[in-house]
Amino acid sequence: MKLSKSYYLVIITFILAVYYIFVGVYLNKLGYSNYESLFYIEKGKIISHGLGNKLRVMGLTSPLLPFYGSYLFSFFNPILAPVLASAVGTALLFYIMASSMVKRNKDNFYLFLLVILFTLHPGLIYTACSGKSIYMVLIFFFLFFLNMLRFYNSNTTYHISIASIFFVMLVFSDYKCIWLALFFIPLVLSIAIHSLNLSEKESVFRLHLSFNNPSLRRKLVNKTFSIYSIIFILPIASIAIYKVLNLTHADDLNYFLESPYATWNIIADKFEYSLTSVASRYAIPEISVLVSLKAIVFCPMIILAIYLFKQNTYQILTLLTPFGLIEFLKVKYDGVNLVYEYYLLFLILALLCIIFRVRFIRNQRALKLGLAIVVAVQLYIGFIFLSKSYIPEENNFANVLLHRTSNKIGEQNREMSDYINTLPESDKILVDDAIAYPVACYVKDISKLTMPYQASYLSAIEAPEKYNGYVLIANESNPMLGYTQLTDFYLDGIRRKNPKLNIYKIYVTDYWTLYRMID
Amino acid sequence: MRNTLKEGLTATDTDEIYSGTKNSSIFRLLMQDGFLTEQDCIKIDAYSAKIGSSAIKIALTFGFISRKNYERSLTNAGYVLEQIREEAYDEEVLNKIDLKFADERLAIPLRAENNRIVTIMADPDDQLFIDFIRLTYNMEPSIIVASDLDITWLSHKLLGQKYVKSAVFELLNSDKGSSALTTFTSKQLIFIFSLIGIIAAGLVLNFKVTSIILNVFLSTFFLLTITFKLFLSLVGSKFELYQAVTKSEIKNIVDDELPVYTIQLPVYKEDKLIKKLIWNLQSLDYPRDRLDIKLLIEEDDDQTLNAVRNLDFPAIFEVIVVPFHMPKTKPKACNYGLHFSRGQYLTIYDAEDIPDTDQLKKVVAMFNKLPEEYICVQCALNYFNRNENFLTRMFTLEYSYWFDYVLPGLDTLDIPIPLGGTSNHFKMASLIELGAWDPFNVTEDADLGVRAYAKGHKIAVINSTTYEEANNDFSNWIRQRSRWIKGYMQTYLVHMRDPIGLIRKIGFKGFLGFNFFVGATPIMFLINPILILIFIGYVVFDLGIIRTIFPDWVLFISIFNLMVGNILMIYVNMMAVFKRRYYELILFAIANPLYWLMHSIAAYKGLYQLIVNPFYWEKTNHGLSKVNNQNNAAK
Repeated sequence: MKLSKSYYLVIITFILAVYYIFVGVYLNKLGYSNYESLFYIEKGKIISHGLGNKLRVMGLTSPLLPFYGSYLFSFFNPILAPVLASAVGTALLFYIMASSMVKRNKDNFYLFLLVILFTLHPGLIYTACSGKSIYMVLIFFFLFFLNMLRFYNSNTTYHISIASIFFVMLVFSDYKCIWLALFFIPLVLSIAIHSLNLSEKESVFRLHLSFNNPSLRRKLVNKTFSIYSIIFILPIASIAIYKVLNLTHADDLNYFLESPYATWNIIADKFEYSLTSVASRYAIPEISVLVSLKAIVFCPMIILAIYLFKQNTYQILTLLTPFGLIEFLKVKYDGVNLVYEYYLLFLILALLCIIFRVRFIRNQRALKLGLAIVVAVQLYIGFIFLSKSYIPEENNFANVLLHRTSNKIGEQNREMSDYINTLPESDKILVDDAIAYPVACYVKDISKLTMPYQASYLSAIEAPEKYNGYVLIANESNPMLGYTQLTDFYLDGIRRKNPKLNIYKIYVTDYWTLYRMID
Repeated sequence: MRNTLKEGLTATDTDEIYSGTKNSSIFRLLMQDGFLTEQDCIKIDAYSAKIGSSAIKIALTFGFISRKNYERSLTNAGYVLEQIREEAYDEEVLNKIDLKFADERLAIPLRAENNRIVTIMADPDDQLFIDFIRLTYNMEPSIIVASDLDITWLSHKLLGQKYVKSAVFELLNSDKGSSALTTFTSKQLIFIFSLIGIIAAGLVLNFKVTSIILNVFLSTFFLLTITFKLFLSLVGSKFELYQAVTKSEIKNIVDDELPVYTIQLPVYKEDKLIKKLIWNLQSLDYPRDRLDIKLLIEEDDDQTLNAVRNLDFPAIFEVIVVPFHMPKTKPKACNYGLHFSRGQYLTIYDAEDIPDTDQLKKVVAMFNKLPEEYICVQCALNYFNRNENFLTRMFTLEYSYWFDYVLPGLDTLDIPIPLGGTSNHFKMASLIELGAWDPFNVTEDADLGVRAYAKGHKIAVINSTTYEEANNDFSNWIRQRSRWIKGYMQTYLVHMRDPIGLIRKIGFKGFLGFNFFVGATPIMFLINPILILIFIGYVVFDLGIIRTIFPDWVLFISIFNLMVGNILMIYVNMMAVFKRRYYELILFAIANPLYWLMHSIAAYKGLYQLIVNPFYWEKTNHGLSKVNNQNNAAK
């Protein structure tokens, strides 16, 4: 019996998933971790085993979808859940892309290229094995652009609505992607202009004509607004609703964006910003204008992709929107380097174009040769980008992968949590998980910890003499010292307030000190 | 007057005598007056031979001569057209004639008087009817000439009881379970009161927990229902460019092979629309001799009857007067009209409808392509006066998404389609077999759609549109919408008498679709204002009592459900503008929550009426629109 292609795809996907899981778990055992995955682990544990009002954690942890994606896997293994999620998610991304490829192209060469990329591209391995949410961003990014391209072909409301729904998912996987909406304005205007019934063919003259005729102008505005609304009203409204929920349940519209209890990257970004300002003394940081160039260097395939759509204005404008996005992000968050995720968007986009257009190219031989070379180059550049990255987490991933050495921060956190795990069940430890989530996530019984999501936290922090427990204090050498209340200053204040309070130093690492307080 | 039968003529000779216009002095008169040509008379005879009606009926109902001209000729020739409505009649005389024959000949015998039968005739020279009188009553007729409309009115009033009773009770007698005569069955009442009892007991025993359960259940139900509608719209939008019947297929249709098509036009006090109606009907691309158009007028509706009488151009429809019988509903009128319809296919239009000109041909082509189990084809409805005011804009958005996306979605998923009020085209035989419309159901169309599925039939949707007049008046809108929502409640109650049986008939998917679509719609309108009140109380006024009753997680879920539900509904309405390119309406979709509150008012009115007056037909006034431009529809 001849097996169908989709059956083979499922097998390849399965093998890829196993491969990713293997690498991911291996790196995890070697000590690789990152803030994002640790954050998801800790919040997942709070939901499963925490005591107190968990509503904020359940509803307002951001980004929401990757968090729940990771949480799903916590039933298998809470510590490995983010890695399992990213491994399976990346394999799923492969399946989605490969099945689109198989549907449109009979030639197995392109499928083979895709397999090579997903197996060897350092960026994709990073996506799959780091436990970060990049996989989800890439999936929804791919599906959003796929449906946009399908909309240009079919002109049905279905594809544009589906694209819009995927855009909502994308925004809830990475809020920064909402800014893509800005760069669709020229595209939508272009679609509207082309759909007007005018004899003039040139876009500029069509625009001139339609702006100078009241009836055409009205039509143009209505249509532009309509298309724009149908794509972006759902994401924008979803964010508005989410903000209302933040307001009603956390008294802050932007709680999910700005609170270190709701999102991991607020402190991670600030932390990185402080590192970058130090690094900039000797390293060349990204400059806003050159970011696009850097993206092209990272993914030369995108030039080929643009070439494939050389006759299609909409498609080319669509392909240019991510360039707009990264330039914008560079301007808006100028102190922070663009993470690998944003460069990977171009790889996914280029592959999408190949999936869509490659069958229309006559000279397949030359194309295949060109593609093979480009892929080989990209594999190398992908590695360079990762290993030379200004972002410690990325750089660290490459180090662990190559040299099997873990980072110091991870070790420190683990050491402290290992000690906490040895404490009796009845002991309570006051922990501020704004920065201590990397410790909390490894604590086996999270109900031991008293954290800000619990009502008892405030009284414990105000009157530790009644609390009779432990408190985890960030040391001066802790890189995130500035973002928590539980520091030596706090201890000094407590001592001043209640001189009779006995505070014992129980366990010390470079970054953390565990104190015991006895009245 | 010629004496025919006494002279013992042969069959061929009789044919010659009864051959319509040729030997009729009246038709000679009409030709002399220049109202008819010889060519017209040949056509009339041909139609008459094919259809079986009298020549005068053909002449007056197939657009050959206007009633005014006909009366003018008769008056000039010395005939006096009498007022006959108050004429005395004799039951014994009436018992010997059937309504259908009287209707075909536009004549009726009333009583015996001075050894003669007083007979009212529109054509005093109709030899066939005169001979019928002689043979049946063994007396000579004493002829009174009257207007054909008055004769139709009188004959239906006097002879139509049998038919009108059948129109009312046929479904009840043949398929009692499908009739909405009983609004709530005993089992349903037990269920409803038990549910109310449980909720009341719960509120007494533990107010907080019961309120929480109710709140979470209602708000989740709200979101699920809207998500289902979005899903349907997405499924439907996938096929928005699909042409069920293409233009070339219509071109290939041979006119002579087309079947007879009945168009029923149930009207009540629509006198302002009659001229427009004729104009719209004349635009239909279908051979005239194969059209069987019935204008169904209620017995007490002199307004419309007089409007038809006063037309100064030829009508192309036949008037059927529906005798008085409760309930006075549109489905009863349509059922009554069925007795006199002769088409292979049948459709219903409202008086103000503007169907696409090729709609009938498209439907015929569609039926030819579809498998046998398809017994109905639903066309899309839309509005020609969409830009008139806020209501008409909202109505257009609603209809656009309903007919362009939701119904094709239901069709694709094989879920029962609640038919729209008009432009549903049936196979006549199957319609009769189904028991036709339920006169006790005020959304008889939706009910019929579900019943068709329950009986193993299918319904298709087609890419053809009928443009209607959107309601532009608030109170008129509330009336119409309360009837629709009440009808949905009736339909739901009728088909949920035996839920297990329904699942067996339409499958679980169909059952779920029916519940979410027909059942959930009125419930959603009823609960929407409650959820909004809680939302406003909590978010805007920050009422302590709401915080006391509902914990944070309940408020989180209910706010989420309510807001996401409303956004999705707005989105679904926004989708609607695309297929028809009504881009100027997209902003109005944002007003959908307000529009839904209007629905809620109508829903509470409908619920009240369902309890106190379930069969009452809230009449929608038509002809209120100032937009009268047909071209507007075609944009």
